[in-house]
Amino acid sequence: MFQTFIDRFVQWCYYSKDYAFIRDTPYGVPFVQSMHLTGITLLLGTTLALNLRLLGIGFKRMSLPYLAEQLWLWTKAGMALTVVSGIMVFLPDPTRYAHNGPFRLKMILLCLALAYQFAVFRRVVRTDPESGSKARNAAFSALSLCLWFGVAWSGRAIAFFQ
Amino acid sequence: MSPINILNWLQHTWWAVGIKESDFVFPLIEGSHILSLSFSVGMVMILDMRLLRISFRSQPVSQLMGQLMPWTMTGFAVMLLTGILLFAAQAVKVYGNTFFRIKMILMLLAGLNALYYQVRYYPKMAEWERTKTPLGVRIIAVLSLILWIGVIACGRTTAYEL
Repeated sequence: MFQTFIDRFVQWCYYSKDYAFIRDTPYGVPFVQSMHLTGITLLLGTTLALNLRLLGIGFKRMSLPYLAEQLWLWTKAGMALTVVSGIMVFLPDPTRYAHNGPFRLKMILLCLALAYQFAVFRRVVRTDPESGSKARNAAFSALSLCLWFGVAWSGRAIAFFQ
Repeated sequence: MSPINILNWLQHTWWAVGIKESDFVFPLIEGSHILSLSFSVGMVMILDMRLLRISFRSQPVSQLMGQLMPWTMTGFAVMLLTGILLFAAQAVKVYGNTFFRIKMILMLLAGLNALYYQVRYYPKMAEWERTKTPLGVRIIAVLSLILWIGVIACGRTTAYEL
């Protein structure tokens, strides 16, 4: 039932003329992919900076809440750019992705990463890491890094499991 | 010896052949190359946002720069190393690739842009880093963002043309 639903959706996307222009335009796909990568750079770069501070190995002259507050706009901008361009990569060529193992893993990890980001990590970075134990900080950080870099690596793996 | 001869020799060294023919070494190096962007360009973007006074306004530029630099440099070191390995694996083809050549030019320009900042504005940073950013510094920051996004786009597109 779920499988049929996905297949129908994929067919509908593929034959929809609305998205065909991306795959038909010269350099349409590389352009959208470049936007995707720019968004990833922003998203992962800012996430990395926060985690380095949380782990106590970087950005020590700023408080974690301050760093988080100043970077949040750019984390959001990176997320928006990545998601929008990601959808634009998927829609014109859904058959390539829908049945691809790493792509499915990526979507699961993405949901987990977003849930963790908004439900847990946002709150963690509003507190002073020195008030918690090193093990606590390392655990919150490890989860954030594994989820986000997991999304990125499984994304990269799509191309290698065709 | 023409450049092509040298490149041909390079891509036939045992290690370049090994990278190209391995099912997992090439994707691993490529993935590392791309995800190091979060360290290198990601951190450069954070500095550019400070220079444009969009984020971290209460932080003196020199202080933020000092905290970003170790990670930026680590990122660029990994990118250079993995970049050389990726280049060696397909040297002749990559050398002839238009987008690769544009990427190299853009990187050179980004380097000169940063060098100009270091020579012209860095020594006198104490004069302006807590107040208004000089127009020249803001132009450098905008150029830096444009050039690095261009580098990302040309790097991504290179892979489509091989």
